[in-house]
Amino acid sequence: MDSQRFVIGGRVQGVGFRPFVYRLAHRLGLAGSVRNGAGVVEIEAHGDDVALAAFAEALMAEAPAIACPLLLERGTPGPVDDTDGGFRILPSRAGEAPRNHVPPDYFTCPDCLTEFADPGNRRYRYPFINCTQCGPRYTLIRALPYDRAATTMAGFALCPDCRREYEDPLDRRFHAEPVACPTCGPRLEYVVGGERIMGNEAALAAAVGMLHADATVAVKGIGGYHLLCDARSEVAVARLRSRKLRPHKPLAVLFAEDLRDLHRAAALSPAHEAALRAAERPIVLVPLRTGHDLAPSLCPGLDELGVLLPYSPLHHLLATDFGGPLVATSANLSGEPVLTDETEAESRLAGVADAFLHHNRLIERPADDSVLRVVDGRPRPLRLGRGLAPLELDLPQPLAHPLLAVGGHLKNTVALAWENRVVVSPHLGDLDSPRARDLFTRTIDDLQRLYGVRAEAVICDAHPDYASTRWAAAQALPMYRIWHHHAHASAVAGEHPAYGRWLTFAWDGVGLGPDGTLWGGETLYGAPGRWRRVGSLRPFRLPGAGRAGREPWRSAAALCWEVGLPWSFGGEMAAGDVALLRGAWEHDLNCHRSSAAGRVFDAAAALLGLVREASFEGQGPMYLEALAAAQAGTVEAVTLPLAQDDDGLWITDWAPLLPLLDDPARVPADKAACVHESLARAILAQALVLRERQQIDAIALTGGVFQNRLLAERALILLATEGFAAHLGECVPSNDAGLSFGQVIEYAATVSNSP
Amino acid sequence: MQDTHISLAHGNGGRYMRELIEELFARHLANPHLDVDADAVAIPLPPGEVLVTTDGFTVQPLEFPGGDIGALAVHGTVNDLAVAGARPCYLTLNVFVEEGFEIATLDRIVASLAHAAQEAGVVVAAGDTKVLPRGEGGGLYLATTGVGVRAPGRRLGLREVRAGDRVLVSGPVGDHGVAVMLAREQFGLRGELRSDAASVLPLTETLLGIDGLRFMRDPTRGGLATVANEIVRASGLNLHLNEAQIPVREPVRAVCEMLGYDPLYLACEGRVVAVVAPETAETALAAWRELPSGTEAALIGNLNKAQTRARVILRTPLGGERVLEELEDDPLPRIC
Ligand SMILES: [Fe+3]
Ligand SMILES: [Mg+2]
Ligand SMILES: [Zn+2]
Ligand SMILES: [Zn+2]
Repeated sequence: MDSQRFVIGGRVQGVGFRPFVYRLAHRLGLAGSVRNGAGVVEIEAHGDDVALAAFAEALMAEAPAIACPLLLERGTPGPVDDTDGGFRILPSRAGEAPRNHVPPDYFTCPDCLTEFADPGNRRYRYPFINCTQCGPRYTLIRALPYDRAATTMAGFALCPDCRREYEDPLDRRFHAEPVACPTCGPRLEYVVGGERIMGNEAALAAAVGMLHADATVAVKGIGGYHLLCDARSEVAVARLRSRKLRPHKPLAVLFAEDLRDLHRAAALSPAHEAALRAAERPIVLVPLRTGHDLAPSLCPGLDELGVLLPYSPLHHLLATDFGGPLVATSANLSGEPVLTDETEAESRLAGVADAFLHHNRLIERPADDSVLRVVDGRPRPLRLGRGLAPLELDLPQPLAHPLLAVGGHLKNTVALAWENRVVVSPHLGDLDSPRARDLFTRTIDDLQRLYGVRAEAVICDAHPDYASTRWAAAQALPMYRIWHHHAHASAVAGEHPAYGRWLTFAWDGVGLGPDGTLWGGETLYGAPGRWRRVGSLRPFRLPGAGRAGREPWRSAAALCWEVGLPWSFGGEMAAGDVALLRGAWEHDLNCHRSSAAGRVFDAAAALLGLVREASFEGQGPMYLEALAAAQAGTVEAVTLPLAQDDDGLWITDWAPLLPLLDDPARVPADKAACVHESLARAILAQALVLRERQQIDAIALTGGVFQNRLLAERALILLATEGFAAHLGECVPSNDAGLSFGQVIEYAATVSNSP
Repeated sequence: MQDTHISLAHGNGGRYMRELIEELFARHLANPHLDVDADAVAIPLPPGEVLVTTDGFTVQPLEFPGGDIGALAVHGTVNDLAVAGARPCYLTLNVFVEEGFEIATLDRIVASLAHAAQEAGVVVAAGDTKVLPRGEGGGLYLATTGVGVRAPGRRLGLREVRAGDRVLVSGPVGDHGVAVMLAREQFGLRGELRSDAASVLPLTETLLGIDGLRFMRDPTRGGLATVANEIVRASGLNLHLNEAQIPVREPVRAVCEMLGYDPLYLACEGRVVAVVAPETAETALAAWRELPSGTEAALIGNLNKAQTRARVILRTPLGGERVLEELEDDPLPRIC
C-alpha cells in the first residue's frame, strides 16, 4: 500500500473532472478522496504502485476532453487516516471556495455519439443527448453554482431513468446538469406557415424535406438560431442572400462529421482538421479546392470558406439526414446579436426563413459561433463565441480592485477582471443596434453576477462616441480611458507576459490616437502601461468621415489626392460629385487625418477595382488578400521609403504603391501580392532601424489588419530571418474583439493598480 | 467710404447713428409701436398666456440660397413661439455690426428681415445697434426677442407625450444645413439646394386646431435626431423612427452621402416635428398636407414603452435597427 497526493490546476472545475477522478479511482481499485480547492483539484490516492502509476498517467491522458488539467504537485501526502474507506468526493474546505467558473458550450462527445447512433439505446437519435463532457453550459446557466435548478433545464423534471444516471457517481451522467432523454427532455417543433409539426422525428423530417426543396429553414441551436439551406444549390444560396440583404459576405457551411464532403470541397491541413474537430466546434476558415461542388455565391471573391462540423446532436441529425453540406449562418441582421427567442425569430425572420425548427429548451443568453483562422500554423480566433467564451485567462499581476473593461464599438466584447483573473465575454456584436446594446448591458450584469464580482472601476476606449464609452461615462464608477492602439498592443503583451520590451505593430482600421488623429498604422515601443509611438505610416486625410470605413474608394481618393495624383473612378462617378468631395477635402470639411493601414489596403482594393463600396467589414482587404494568394512568395516588393519626421517618428511612405497599382504591365494578382510583400517588408524595415536604437525583446503584430494571413505570415517569416521573436495574438482576437482584454492589461500595468 | 460702409461713428450715438436708424432701420421697420426716440414702449397684447423667447443669429454666410440672416432672425424666434403654441406678436432686434460692413448689404438684410416680420404678422417694437471694431465681429450678428400669446389652458409640451403617440415631420429635413454649409464653403452652384427657412406659423396654427396634439418643436441645430432625443429623454419612451418615411430631398441626400453627413442631424429652419395622439395623427397629417409648406409632411415614427433604456431607434430600409445618439461635438468615425 502506497499513497500519493496530486494537485491539479488548469481547467478542472465545472468540467466533470472530479467525477472523472472518482470513476478512475474506482476502476483502478484505489481508495482516497478528491476535492476542489481554490482554483485547483486536490487528490489523495492509496493503492499499490502499479495502480497508482496507472492512475497518474490516466489523470492526464484520459481527462475529459473539455478539461485542461495541469499537474502542479505530486508527492507523498501527510498523515493518512483512512486508506480503506473507498474513494470519496469531499466537500470543499471551508475558506477555500473553488474558483467560480462559467463553462462554455461544448460539442457532442464521442460517448454520447455512440449512444446516439445505437438503435437500441433510449437516446437513439435524440437531438438533446448530452453528458458531463458535452452539451450546452453558458447558454443555459442562470446562476452559479452550476446546478440543474439554476439552468433553463429546471422546468424539465427528470424521469426515473435519467434521475438514476444523474445521481450515480459511477455513471458518466453523474450531475450532468442538462441531462435529458426523449421521455423527459426538450423536443423539436417545426413551423411552416400556420402549420405545426411536433415530435422529434416528424419535425426533423419536415425540415430536411424543406431544405431539399431549396428553402431556408431557421433552426434553433445551442446559442441561437441559424439559417440553413442547401450549400450546393445556387438557387437556395442566392435566395437566402437576397432575402437577408447580404450580397457578398461569406456564408459558413456545416459539413457532416465524416468529412467526406468537406475533403472534396476543401484542402485541409492537419491544423485545420484539428481545429474543426476540437470540442469548441468553431467555424474554421479553410482553403477551397478549385472545382468544388458548392454554390459559387457562398463566398464570392474569396478562396477560403468558413466551415464547421456538427456541434450539437441536432446538427448531427441535420447534416446526416440532409446528406450534404448546409449553409449555416447566424440568424440575425449584419452586426446584430444572434436571435434566440422563438417569437422574436418568427417575427424578425418572417421575410427570410420559409420554415422554423424550434425546440423548447430556452436559451438564457446568446452565443454566436466562434470563428478561427489558421495563421502561422495555429488556429487564431477572429471571433470568440460558442465553445470558446467566456474566455478565462490569468493576469500577469493581481489587481487591487475588480475592473470592467467595455471594449470598442464594433465586434464588441467586454472583460471582467479581479484578483489575478480575467474573463472575456463572447462576441456581442456591433453596438449600433439596440439589441446589441441590450446584450452588452445584460452581459455586463451577468458576468458580474455569475462570477460574484462587482467592478469598482470601468475602463473604456478613448473614443468619446463609442456606445461603450458613452455607457462607461454614465456609470457611477471611476472611469479610465485607454487609447485604442495601446489596448491592441497590450492584448498581445498580456498573452506573453515574459517579455519586457516590445516593438508592436498595431495596424487596423481606425482608432482615436492621443494626437486627435485616426491611428491605425502605428509602431509602439514599450510594454503595457508605457507605450510610446515610434513609427507610423504616412498620414493622409480621409474624406467623408465614417463613410470612409465602408467605402474603399474614398481611401483610394485620399491616397491619390495626398500625393497630388488625379483620381477618378473610371468615370463611373459623376464629375460634379467628385469635385464636391474634392472641395470638401481641400477645405478639410468632414475629413479626418489618418495613418490607418486598413485604409491603405482598402485603397489598394479599390484601385484594383475589387471593391468600391464594401457590403461587409473588411471586404476590400479580404478580396485583395485572396487575389494575391496565387502569386504570394514569387513577387518582388517595391521599397517603401522610411524616414524620420520632425517628431522623430519613423514614417513609412506608401506612395510608391500608387504607381504600382496603376501599372498596366502587371496583372492584378501580381500587384495585390506586391502590396502585401511591400508592406511586410516595411514592417521589417522599421523593426531593423528601431533595433539599432532600442533594446527589443519581442515583436507583436496586432490589430484587425493582421487577420490577413498573407501579410502576417510574410512579416513573421521576414522578422524571424532577422532573428526577431515575433508574435500574433493566440487566444485573444487581434481585431477589436481583443480590446477589452487589452484594456484590462493596459490598466493593470500601471503601478497604482497593484495591491 | 463712410457713405457706403459702417464706421465706428455709426455706433457712437451721434448724427451718423441717428441717420442710420432713420434712413435704414426705420425705413424698413416703421410701425406704430417702434418709437425710435423712446427708451421703452408699451405693447398691447390680446388675452392669454404671454410667452417670451430670445435667440441670437451668427450664421455664415449672411446670405445663402433660400434666405439670409435677417429673415432667419425673424423665423428663428417666431418659430420658437409658434411651436410653443403661441401667436407671435412682437419682436425686439439687436444688431451687432462690424466696422467696415457694407451699408448696402445691411440694407438688404434689414429689408429681408422686415419682409419676414410682415409675413409672420409680427412688429419690431424695439431695437438697438452696436458697432464692433474691425476684426472683432463676423460682419453682422443679430439677436431677437419675441413676445407672443397662447390661448389659456392649452396643454402642450413634452410632459403630454404618451406611449402609442405618433411623430410627424412637416417636410424634408436637412435643407438648411446643407444649403448653408455649401454656401459657406463656396462650393459653387448647386442650384437645387435651398434653405427651408420660413415661418412655421401656418403649420403650427393648423395643428393647434386638432385634438390630441401633444408637442411641437422646430428641429434647428442638431436636426431631427436631436429633437427625437429630447422627446425620448423627457418621456422615458422609445422613439422608433422609420428611415424610409423620413422625407429627405434627393439633392440633399446626394450631398450628404458624398460628404459623409447624416441629414437627420442637420438643421432645418422651417420645419416642425409634432407628437400627436394615435387617433388623430392621420387627421393632423392630412391637415398639414393641405398647406403649401406641408405637402411633403409625413408620419415618421411612434413612441413605445421602453423595455430597457429609452432610446431613439432608427429602423433602416434594410430592416436593421440603429440607435440614433445625441450629437457628438465633432463626430469621429467609429469603424475600426
Ligand atoms: Fe482596432
Ligand atoms: Mg431658437
Ligand atoms: Zn456526452
Ligand atoms: Zn429522461
